[in-house]
Amino acid sequence: MGSWQARPEQQQQQQQQQEQERWHYEELAHKSGFSTEQIKNLHKRFRQLSGNKETISRANLDSIPALANNPLKKQIIDAFFDKRNQWQDDEVGSLEEIGLEHFLMVMSHFRPPAHKSGEEERQAARRQKLRFLFNMHDTDGDGIITLAEYRKVVEELLSKSGAIGHQTAKAIADAAMLEVASINAPHMAPDDFYEGITFEHFQQILKGLEMESRMHIRFLDVDTTTMRCGKAPS
Amino acid sequence: MEDFWAVVVWAGRIWLCLIISLIMIPAMFGFSLGISETYMDILVKILEWATLKLQKATAEEHALKASASSALIQREDGSMEKELEELRRSRPKPPVGGDFTLSDCFYFTRRGIESIVEDEVTQRFTSEELVSWNLLTRTNNDFQYISLRLTLVYGLGIFVRYCILAPLRITLACIGLTWLVIGTSAVGLLPNWRVKFWLSEWVHVMCYRICARGLSAAIRYHNRENIPQKGGICVANHTTPIDIVILCNDACYAMVGQVHGGLMGVIQRAMVRSCPHVWFERAEMKDRHLVAKRLKDHVNDKTKLPILIFPEGTCINNTSVMMFKKGSFEIGATIYPVAIKYDPKFGDAFWNSSKYSMVSYLLRMMTSWALVCNVWYLPAMHQQEGEDAVQFANRVKSAIAHQGGLVDLQWDGGLKRAKVKESFKEQQQKQYSHMVVGDDGSSNSD
Repeated sequence: MGSWQARPEQQQQQQQQQEQERWHYEELAHKSGFSTEQIKNLHKRFRQLSGNKETISRANLDSIPALANNPLKKQIIDAFFDKRNQWQDDEVGSLEEIGLEHFLMVMSHFRPPAHKSGEEERQAARRQKLRFLFNMHDTDGDGIITLAEYRKVVEELLSKSGAIGHQTAKAIADAAMLEVASINAPHMAPDDFYEGITFEHFQQILKGLEMESRMHIRFLDVDTTTMRCGKAPS
Repeated sequence: MEDFWAVVVWAGRIWLCLIISLIMIPAMFGFSLGISETYMDILVKILEWATLKLQKATAEEHALKASASSALIQREDGSMEKELEELRRSRPKPPVGGDFTLSDCFYFTRRGIESIVEDEVTQRFTSEELVSWNLLTRTNNDFQYISLRLTLVYGLGIFVRYCILAPLRITLACIGLTWLVIGTSAVGLLPNWRVKFWLSEWVHVMCYRICARGLSAAIRYHNRENIPQKGGICVANHTTPIDIVILCNDACYAMVGQVHGGLMGVIQRAMVRSCPHVWFERAEMKDRHLVAKRLKDHVNDKTKLPILIFPEGTCINNTSVMMFKKGSFEIGATIYPVAIKYDPKFGDAFWNSSKYSMVSYLLRMMTSWALVCNVWYLPAMHQQEGEDAVQFANRVKSAIAHQGGLVDLQWDGGLKRAKVKESFKEQQQKQYSHMVVGDDGSSNSD
């Protein structure tokens, strides 16, 4: 009979746990802009990736098979551990492991734009996405993409397969850098040293590029009103 | 004290008699008394009732999910070339010099993030999610106290499963295995008359039937006219070692595998006495030619039973079919594909070998409600002209996936433990670099 007496206490404990979890999700939803349903699904994915632990390390992300094909794999994984992507300005450096909150904050860069967003909000979202991409290129965190950093990205994209030699990759990077310089600093004297691409330059280059539709992940919304199975509840 | 023991012995005898008469004899002769059917009907009714209860209770919280394999995100269908073209076209300035630009990074970044959010492979190595709770503790992720009756049924279920069904099933499994060893050894002593083949088949099927009862397996076979014939190879999708019991309930196969020690070794040696199976030593498995030769010899001998092979090489969670290894498709024999689909409501059949050992897996199986599965025999397939082994394997795989309602994946099941091979990565990189350099090789030649 002892088990029946324990039931109300267990019930209370469980309810408390669920309340806490719900509150936690709502807080995360507020910070990241996802809905609680999406956060729940992402949390499940987080647990899958981390092997049911509290944090994800680089090795966990490294072992995703579909990611192995991606030439920007290393940069993408680093982006998750980059403090600059945590929406807190002025923090630089990288984390060793990330928790659910960090994971969601990085994911929020790829959140689809809300339907009723005004012009300002859309501009802000665009700026965020460009910033994410900029941080990915600017590996040392000094706010400027130098030629060396840019070359590295080109190499990652191209030369590992061996089809393109080191020299060719270098040449492509130099040509692209020259193009950038000519857009942003057209009146440079021949001896001036072009330091690198700042974030403003970056935005300038990509001004006309229509990237809103390409830089977000469309989460399937589980529409619960359409899926009752069996008899409808009275 | 003596009375107590006398009672225990007497109860044990009654128990054995019941088992033998109600379960073993029907199993030996292949007819059914209808007990398990009644059990399954009651079970289905209880689970439906439980589902409705759960639905009503959680209706306000919108807690139901659409389907077990709900996708998280929607992916673009376009190929890499198409998307990169679009990205470049929308640039304000016409591309000159280095054709690739920062805009290409968008595409790859997005694809990378999509892979992190959801990838097809990692989710195949964990158990399938259920749409609604099936009153087992192990599938219970967020148990809420809903009603007294539901909890009572749940408690009763635990009692029935652990105290009544589990001992029964364990007894049956032990009897089945012992009988298999004894029976096959006995048949092996006979000289090679026709009777020997018939007897050996009968002993095998009987023992597997007892083992199947030992797991409360309810198997439905479809298209039995396509059953594998002698001199062919039977291929099936792999979810658990119990697949063997499921398939051997209906027909006799020759097994292929590594020689083990211990209990498995005893069983293997006994089986080989009554009819020829193909067991390899560990060292021999590495030599592909030797393996192929032995299989070929077996297949060419028309008196030997069809070989049973699981080309995926590892256990997948029964929501998809992964890459078939081409070894068995190179032999040139007739392939008989078989699709096996388990019903997850009654018990999760998937063996997650990294999480559970064989023994704890078997115990879990014996304390589930039941094992319900459908087996479809597909028409025989041959390798066509101009088709190499890999294409043939993919064709068979698609047929099996289509019939069983499983997702057809190109990925290798070995990714459970290993990383992606470098050759796959290089292919993608080659494709991309061709796009960049190949198009304007003239402006970039140094």
